Amino acid sequence: MQRSTTWLAAGALLALAGGCSALNEPIYIAAPAALDVMGTDMSGAPNRVMGGVVLRFRKPNPAEQMQLDTDTQRLGFKVPWLKRDRIHLELLYTVSNVDTDDGTFTVAVDGASEVVKYDETTIAAAFAAADVKTAPLALMAPPPRTLGAGQNYQGTLREDDFIEGELDLDAMGRWMAPFAAVLINRSDVNPVGLDMVPPNVVIPAMQEIDVTLIAEKHMTCEFMVRVRSDDDQLLDESGDANLFVPTPVVYVPNIPPPTP
Amino acid sequence: MDPLNSRSQLRLFLSLTTAAAAITAAAPSARAQVTDEPNPVIFPDPTKFARGLYTEGEIGSVIFFGAAGGGKVGPGFAIGTRVGYDVTRFFAVQLHGLGSTHQTSFPGHPQDEQLLQLYQGMIEAKLTYRFGQLSIFAEGGGGAARLSSNLLATVPYGGGYLTRWRTGLTAGGGAGVDYHSLSRHFSVGLRGDYFWLRDISGSTDLIATTYLRYTF
Repeated sequence: MQRSTTWLAAGALLALAGGCSALNEPIYIAAPAALDVMGTDMSGAPNRVMGGVVLRFRKPNPAEQMQLDTDTQRLGFKVPWLKRDRIHLELLYTVSNVDTDDGTFTVAVDGASEVVKYDETTIAAAFAAADVKTAPLALMAPPPRTLGAGQNYQGTLREDDFIEGELDLDAMGRWMAPFAAVLINRSDVNPVGLDMVPPNVVIPAMQEIDVTLIAEKHMTCEFMVRVRSDDDQLLDESGDANLFVPTPVVYVPNIPPPTP
Repeated sequence: MDPLNSRSQLRLFLSLTTAAAAITAAAPSARAQVTDEPNPVIFPDPTKFARGLYTEGEIGSVIFFGAAGGGKVGPGFAIGTRVGYDVTRFFAVQLHGLGSTHQTSFPGHPQDEQLLQLYQGMIEAKLTYRFGQLSIFAEGGGGAARLSSNLLATVPYGGGYLTRWRTGLTAGGGAGVDYHSLSRHFSVGLRGDYFWLRDISGSTDLIATTYLRYTF
């Protein structure tokens, strides 16, 4: 009886140790420098400055690559190495108004998966080429805020915001979704534009997060990306030998020419 | 002397002694009564408390001081366990694992209001002095402390960062009081330990817990 109790306690301890080892521990990756934007441009529009964080993931090992190839063959479309369901992202940012006047700011977030890259400047160029006067949309953009002089604002783009953004990015890049429809609508409320997305699609996770600060006064933005990788795909070596280097295609919207 | 008279006296004597022998032969054997003062009873008797392999479960809180203190890493709820062995009545060795969860405070920075866990694993020596149901003890040891994330490695501090690695060395000790329940195996107690966290820029943490102990 006493021996069985001892073994029970030892088993409980081992289970506890196993549970602790399975804890999902986040990794924070800070932006190399704070964004600093000042005033308006010559046309009176707020200035904008962009900075990005490229996440460093490891390459798949031979067994993992074989599994990816098998899954790709079975499903009939490319199965990404970095999957949205296994890599969870969150953006933490702090905007400080270092001006002497109150001002309004917007934080816009673009980025890239291993398959496709969304960049507002490319969209703006495509709009300009097609003589479209609409302002380009960011992949993710919290509403603009007004900040008093000397004040700061702490914001978060949560994991569920990234889940939506990653779906939009993949829908536009691989499944011909009309970009305005998917960017404006939340898919869980109105899945307009997602008709071509296969129900069993494996959505790629973003591996590059580009943050743009748009402000009419002198403001700064510190930001960092919080990553939870279920399969330990973040590269923990300083060298690049095992670095996964994707080459995403830059998304260019198909804008119909203006009707005469 | 009249021989007839003396014979009748002898017959009477034999009759009486035979009757007495018959009566006393059937009686139970007599025992001596204890007449001395009994020894004073020791209550409770610590020798009857279980001793040897033991486990403890504890809950309490962890408070940071030093570089990570001052509210940067706030006080947090802690839960822990110990497995030990009483080598003698006064000396024991034990393994100690403790996890605590904390919220950071770096106003004006993205590291603000993030949750952070600290896991500490130590090997400790423990000295106990028991008087009746109560005992007091002192313990100390060393081991490793691991942070659940690299968050503090992104916080500038003293020309570097608050931490360099997520796992580092820890050492310290403390004291407490134990109350035995008299049910042989169980006791409860309070303890406070103070540990040095070398790799969180030399911060320290105070661990205050209450525990339940089971000795096998």
